Amino acid sequence: MSNTSAHITASCIIRGNTVVKNGVRVYEAPPDVTLPEFLRGLYDRYSGQYPKFHKMDLLSKLGWAAAEILLQEVPMEHYAPEDTGVILANTSSSLDTDERYAETMKEIASPALFVYTLPNIVIGEISIRHTFKGENAFFVADAFDIPFITGYVQQLLNEGTLQAAVCGWVEQYHSGYDAALYLVEKKPRNGSLPFTANEAEKLYR
Amino acid sequence: MSEQVWIAGGDVICGTGLNLAACLDAFEKMQPGMGAMQHLRSAHANTFPVAEVKAGNDELAAMAGMPAHWSRTALLSMIAAQAAWNSTGLGAVSNYRVGLVSANTVGGMDKTEHFMETYLQDTATGRLREVVHHECGSITELVADALGVRHHVSTISTACSSGANALMYGARMIRAGMLDAVIAGGTDALTRFTLNGFNTLMILDQQKCRPFDDTRTGLNLGEGAGYVVLVSDRLAEQTTAWCRLSGFANANDAYHQTASSPEGTGNFIAMQGALNMAGVQPADIGYINLHGTGTQNNDSSEGLAIVRLFNGHYPPVSSTKSFTGHTLGASGGIEAVFSAYALRHGIIYPNAQFTTPMKELPFAPVTTFSRGNALRHVMSNSFGFGGNCSSLVFSE
Repeated sequence: MSNTSAHITASCIIRGNTVVKNGVRVYEAPPDVTLPEFLRGLYDRYSGQYPKFHKMDLLSKLGWAAAEILLQEVPMEHYAPEDTGVILANTSSSLDTDERYAETMKEIASPALFVYTLPNIVIGEISIRHTFKGENAFFVADAFDIPFITGYVQQLLNEGTLQAAVCGWVEQYHSGYDAALYLVEKKPRNGSLPFTANEAEKLYR
Repeated sequence: MSEQVWIAGGDVICGTGLNLAACLDAFEKMQPGMGAMQHLRSAHANTFPVAEVKAGNDELAAMAGMPAHWSRTALLSMIAAQAAWNSTGLGAVSNYRVGLVSANTVGGMDKTEHFMETYLQDTATGRLREVVHHECGSITELVADALGVRHHVSTISTACSSGANALMYGARMIRAGMLDAVIAGGTDALTRFTLNGFNTLMILDQQKCRPFDDTRTGLNLGEGAGYVVLVSDRLAEQTTAWCRLSGFANANDAYHQTASSPEGTGNFIAMQGALNMAGVQPADIGYINLHGTGTQNNDSSEGLAIVRLFNGHYPPVSSTKSFTGHTLGASGGIEAVFSAYALRHGIIYPNAQFTTPMKELPFAPVTTFSRGNALRHVMSNSFGFGGNCSSLVFSE
């Protein structure tokens, strides 16, 4: 099957207290700002008015904030909810929250943490926020295998399973984190790049 | 192709009885199946009542004709699925294109937990035969092989709506002319994994559960299996079908990872979709077998969705989970059997442990068993975690 034409119409990389949107550095916090503080800063700057954010674990906050920045000024309303999906990967699964949850089991197991003891919950948070109801998958792998993720998303577009996808890498364990989200669509937008592993790699590095 | 999908028979095994006849007897005598744990071993044994199937693994294995070292999930499934098929009088499975679509949520977790007890002490110990059927689909395959089902085998795991979704899947295959008959429903055994998970969510009642009661504080877990046999028009002529599966729908309100939206949006869409497919109005429904878990969230969401859809014309409703406990992946299958049988025989089941109507609802569940009701259409609801909502309509 030949590949459906597809484009990276937006990207958002968050690492080292810095946000890079579409290849341009748009936000930076001092290095001594902790991850929770940094994520709260992103929420205040880019969103607000979504109190559920404060209940999320750090992995979900990171992925949610990256999607928030990725999709700002990108209208998605013309898509049917079933045509939009989320494909993500990371290496530490939800281990950070799993550890915190296991800690609470010694006293009273926390229902609030329990909900977040799966990595794909971040997909749920992004989907609920943006009304995405199409295909989703979360892969746990040693490293961000860009050709694997782009190939997987390309196949979903080829088959017509999805018309648009948010895909990429959302990793967080203790204070370490790294997020790279791409919006992939069949129709180009201003400044879009061809959807290839090579282009995704260039944005990520 | 088949115009209609018929229910040619069905059977169950659960905490209320080892078969459908025993369950009907328990409903009539108002004898819920919950009590202290006899078979499951748990640190919470004296805290949470459960609705266990009243038989040990050796006894179930003998009934199923399977080895006792196989998962209880498979044993329960085999007993109910075989009884369901036998109830149709269709004879040998090998005479038809038969599928097994079976739901479950725990797979072989009961045996895995047993394995881990010794394995965690010494990683050189433990019998690997206890973990090879850990995965949900493995349970269905064991049962399909034992039943002699060769044409289609599928496992559905969508939390508490799994069993109902198995009926939908099976019905679509019959309509499409891909199978003559589908044994559809679900199975789940009690495990520490599920008990501890629901305990963490703080939605287990320490008393017998009180669905649709203002004083409700959570659910009781149960176990069991329930299957209907769906058949095509052609096969229905060879048997005395109970009724038709005339409508079904699944909707997701995409509101929260576990909870339903407070106003029951997904519940409403699922019930409305099932009515539309069946081509009937809300006022045509003679009885609703509620999802009715007994949790604050479910009963409130489900109740408010019923108010919105039925708008003053409330049929008799009850939750048979007040007898069987919440059997998770099995519940949609078990309650489909109860609902289809109710339609055929004009039965309305009682809601046990009911004392106090919910303040926000203008209706209350039925509390007495009755026969001889003129039922033309019966609805069965199954609403799962993550807002995975399914509704089935059975018609005469």
